Amino acid sequence: MERSFKTEVESLKLGAGDIFAGEGILAVTKGLLQSGVSYVGGYQGSPISHLIDVLVDAKPLMDKLGVHLETSTSEAAAGAMLAASINYPIRGAVTWKSPVGTNVASDGLSNISSSGVIGGAVIILGEDYGEGASVIQERSHAFAMKSSMWLLDPRPNLASIVNLVEKAFELSEASNSLVMMQLRIRTCHVYGRFEAKDNLTGKISRNSKLDKPDFSMMRLPQPGFTVAQEKLKLETRLPAAIKFIKDNKLNEQFPGDSNEVGIILQGGLYNTVLRVMQRIGLADTFGNSRIPIYCMNVTYPMVPDEITQFCAGKRAVLMMEEGHPDYIEQMLNTVLRRADINARIFGKDVLPMGGEYTADVVMKGLIGFLDKVRPAGMDGLIDMAQKQVEQIAGFKATANELVGTAIPGRNPTFCTGCPERPMFASIKLAERELGKTHVSGDIGCHSFGMYAPFNIGNTCVGYGLGLASSTGIAANFSKRTISIMGDGGFWHNGLTTGVASATYNNADGVLVVIKNGYTSATGWQFLPSSMQRREGLVHQDQTIEKALRGVGIKWMKTVDNYKVGNVAKVLKEALTTAEKGLKVIIAQGECMLAKQRRVRAEDAKNIAAGRRVAKPKFNIDDQVCTGDHSCIRLSGCPSLTIKENPDTLRRDPVATVIESCVGCGLCGEISHAAILCPSFYKTELVHNPGIIERMLDGLRRRVIARLATPPAAITPLISTGGAIAQAAE
Amino acid sequence: MSDVRPVTVLISALGGEGGGLMTDWILAAAREHNLVCQATSVPGVAQRTGATTYYIEVFNQKLEPGKPEPVMALYPQAGDIDMMVASELAEASRACQNGFVTPDRTTLITSTHRFYLLDEKMGMADSRLDVERLENAARKMAKHVVAADFARAARDAGTVINAVLLGAIAGAGLLPMPVESFERAIKGEGKGAEASLRGFYYGLSVARGEVVELQPRVRAFAPKAEAPIVSDTLETLRDRIVRDFPPMTHEIVMEGTARTFDYQDIDYARLYLDRLGPVLAAERAAKGDFVTTRETARYLALWMAYEDVIRVAQIKTRLERVERARGGAGGKPEQTVIITEFLKPGLDEFCSLLPSFAARPLLAWADRTGRRDSFNVGLHLRTSTIFGFIMLRAMAGMKFWRRRGHRFSVEQALMTRWLAAVEAATTREPSLGREVAECGRLIKGYSDTHRRAQRNFIRLMDTVVDPALATSNGADYYMNVAAALATARKAALADPEGDALNTTLAKLNYPVAANG
Repeated sequence: MERSFKTEVESLKLGAGDIFAGEGILAVTKGLLQSGVSYVGGYQGSPISHLIDVLVDAKPLMDKLGVHLETSTSEAAAGAMLAASINYPIRGAVTWKSPVGTNVASDGLSNISSSGVIGGAVIILGEDYGEGASVIQERSHAFAMKSSMWLLDPRPNLASIVNLVEKAFELSEASNSLVMMQLRIRTCHVYGRFEAKDNLTGKISRNSKLDKPDFSMMRLPQPGFTVAQEKLKLETRLPAAIKFIKDNKLNEQFPGDSNEVGIILQGGLYNTVLRVMQRIGLADTFGNSRIPIYCMNVTYPMVPDEITQFCAGKRAVLMMEEGHPDYIEQMLNTVLRRADINARIFGKDVLPMGGEYTADVVMKGLIGFLDKVRPAGMDGLIDMAQKQVEQIAGFKATANELVGTAIPGRNPTFCTGCPERPMFASIKLAERELGKTHVSGDIGCHSFGMYAPFNIGNTCVGYGLGLASSTGIAANFSKRTISIMGDGGFWHNGLTTGVASATYNNADGVLVVIKNGYTSATGWQFLPSSMQRREGLVHQDQTIEKALRGVGIKWMKTVDNYKVGNVAKVLKEALTTAEKGLKVIIAQGECMLAKQRRVRAEDAKNIAAGRRVAKPKFNIDDQVCTGDHSCIRLSGCPSLTIKENPDTLRRDPVATVIESCVGCGLCGEISHAAILCPSFYKTELVHNPGIIERMLDGLRRRVIARLATPPAAITPLISTGGAIAQAAE
Repeated sequence: MSDVRPVTVLISALGGEGGGLMTDWILAAAREHNLVCQATSVPGVAQRTGATTYYIEVFNQKLEPGKPEPVMALYPQAGDIDMMVASELAEASRACQNGFVTPDRTTLITSTHRFYLLDEKMGMADSRLDVERLENAARKMAKHVVAADFARAARDAGTVINAVLLGAIAGAGLLPMPVESFERAIKGEGKGAEASLRGFYYGLSVARGEVVELQPRVRAFAPKAEAPIVSDTLETLRDRIVRDFPPMTHEIVMEGTARTFDYQDIDYARLYLDRLGPVLAAERAAKGDFVTTRETARYLALWMAYEDVIRVAQIKTRLERVERARGGAGGKPEQTVIITEFLKPGLDEFCSLLPSFAARPLLAWADRTGRRDSFNVGLHLRTSTIFGFIMLRAMAGMKFWRRRGHRFSVEQALMTRWLAAVEAATTREPSLGREVAECGRLIKGYSDTHRRAQRNFIRLMDTVVDPALATSNGADYYMNVAAALATARKAALADPEGDALNTTLAKLNYPVAANG
């Protein structure tokens, strides 16, 4: 990582009575240390990356507490780590982004769940769901149900969250089961506060090691034992979990003065629902509500007693459950039917089946529920709320009319200077000559190549699966196909699922491994191929090349991403060569954000020390640019944009390079490789030039000033033109 | 029930604008007074230059042990925002469309600059959103607007836009913290605090109404670097323009005359006016509004001053340009700057200077064998060196040879054809004349791009314009042709592959070539 988490690390050291103020995911991290974990692992991804990142920087603290930190190479590796708690009373936690990470981890999780744990084992799930999500929209709830893992969904305030983290370990131990805690993206990023406790040291830890291995067939999911374990799950662990949840009041009940209706909600939705209720006069700011609320901080398993108690005597209950299928609502109906309680259940009939439950969605659903049920004495309030909704719809309609068009979205794209952008420009150029072929995309920053202006990548089915996902189509496609994989995906599983499998099956495609030295999309974590040589020496690390040779790759070429013309040539060669077998192009260039973080500091230091530093920047001659914007269509760089044409005659905006340009050189390369236009030029501002360079520059300036065409004086033609125009009016 | 309401703030920022830090500053200012506050955000992959939002709630209530704490929301709600902060104008409009700016309560703080969306940038002509509509929406939907070009202010102050916006937030006076608390939050940053404070004070002054809101934009005219050298003959041309042309065309015709003179010589400028004559006469006879003449004058000047290597060299060796390039590097005037030009001349450029009898077979051979772009030589020409500059200056000096080159005759023939069509169309129906004139806008670009533009232009002439002009029908017919031509022209600018043009021509029942 090029980023430092010094201040965050400090807040992990807080003791009893101190006030922690900071981000949600950091609070969870502190909660883990307060629970006495002995091992922590995980795979980065939004929104939980910081949990691991901060702990990496907190090495002295971790050493002191004896906590082992594993920066796992995949979620499968992280999930399997929880096996430590099967045999030993040792607490541990792992984290990843869900549902994609849970998918990857679930083989291990199923088996650990079968064996059961005796030490508290907790999984922190970052839910990348809804607005701004980068992954498919599925629920973690399904995993909880199928593997008998308990799922926590705390009220989104730091005190509740941290308290529940601690309880999660106790619940895990009391029921010998894995416990998952799901945290929505806004919760992970919320800045709040809570009163800290001292960190705990595990009884077993790096500082106090085990010496005897534990063996029992009952801890192994082997034939003859899995059935017995299944019985344990249902007859012992589940009841124990329900009892613990009940005894410790993990779910909360908030009273209200209406005895006709009630609301059951997932803990994570509590704050949203309360604010909506406050807005329409059903609650105050401090959570005092007119309608009773049952808040499920544990969404699986359900506690039937609490549910029947809450619903008994009520005419109608609203189930607020985000995501689909409506697992909780189905369960709720089953529980109530069994107990013969006839409160009518509303849920997905007044709320949308899928999608994020934003405040606006909740407001409409809540009003819809009240309108159907019409509890006594709430008519006036319902009418006013409906008017409020109509008024807002009216405002939106007016705004739409005023703007006159739907403003297109700002899709994520490669950063300024990103080394992956030139790769896609090269593919586009190669396509011009060879025609388009099928491109199997992958997950990572390079998946932004699927957006305009490139629109390259016909499928994208999972992290590291670029090559594996091409095998069916490659065999059935008349042209050689291309697969893309980042170095992150390569180590996550691409080497085995893709490359090893391809050599084994004599595949004949082209694989582009984009090597930028980090898992950049998740926050610049290092990789197995950048661990030995940090400091961005991407081109000097040969780990990927060696691994490829090791599994039998013969045709392998390494290219510098920014040399677009050359990359296009190598691509064409790979696509057309008569040589059989998988052709691998290693496209390298260090992540520009990470590089800039480092280089800017280095440059500043060098300039201050009087050493020569040349700072490059690209520019465009306004008068040479004709405003066709083909450069933009081949690049999409955020720093390459348009501006009002300064020429009176021209109508179309001209291309321009703004100050954020880092001088990566792509503009020049593209205008060469695509034979675009001669508008681009590069300037290099030289700091601390040597005496000879300085003198030469002075001489050159004087000579060039004499050679150059001087600006003409203001001419009568133009000046009187204005005067005439005025006179004519 | 007691009802304490938070002040709700929604910030919409783009990647790299420091929205997260700005949120931290606001929280720090609130915490200084021990106020109940909370903030959250949705960065995720959106931070990769996408739009990111931050939502903040601040209660005018102090945190006290034992006192109940408010339940704070993590989602902004339509119609429930007190202060909307947009770091860019289209984002402000987007917020209006999402209901986050409502006239009953929202103070909108927005920068008036544009950071163009990819859809706006990618267009082959001008795909920008209508700024006036965006500004109008902002003005009409908010209860109160604080708007200025905060991005420029940030540049001027040597800081990032977040500091300037923070000043506006502090100055808007909605949050229950004094301006000094915000100032202290910025000062806490240490590094760069001085520049940030300069930006902060600018934002503050805008919010306090010390700077005029939503200033009308003044179109920036080009520096008159291309202005021709004073000449008696040019004077006579000026007199001729004033005498012969209607006033509303003067600006463009004068600019065009100057351009063609600068491009070649006085004869060329005279030819420019001569060529406009028939179009003007036709429009006068048809009692038109002279828009056709003005637009023909615009595109004819640009076309006659087509960008060949000589022209590019001419532009790049002006003193004014050399100085601008040096200045653009961002250093002090005396600092050393290296300038590198990216040129890639090839067969097209070579043939454009050869006489037609030699160029024609060469180009035909290249097209036949698919080698039109095979001989380009990529040059990294250092024009900050004397040798590099002389090379370019020598190329600019080839102006005398231009008339003998192949491209000159090709371009002149094509523009003569266009002018004749504009004239003929204007005589039949002024609106058709106008549309034919507008086709001049298609001609632009270099190498491949230019060939495509030319191909599209010829196609419209062949399939739509010429067949229509060969008939003699009533005005209604020509008006329909004008409408069809406008649609087809837009389609020609829709995508570089020409797919939209094919579909559109087919829809309009025009013949579509097999190869597109």
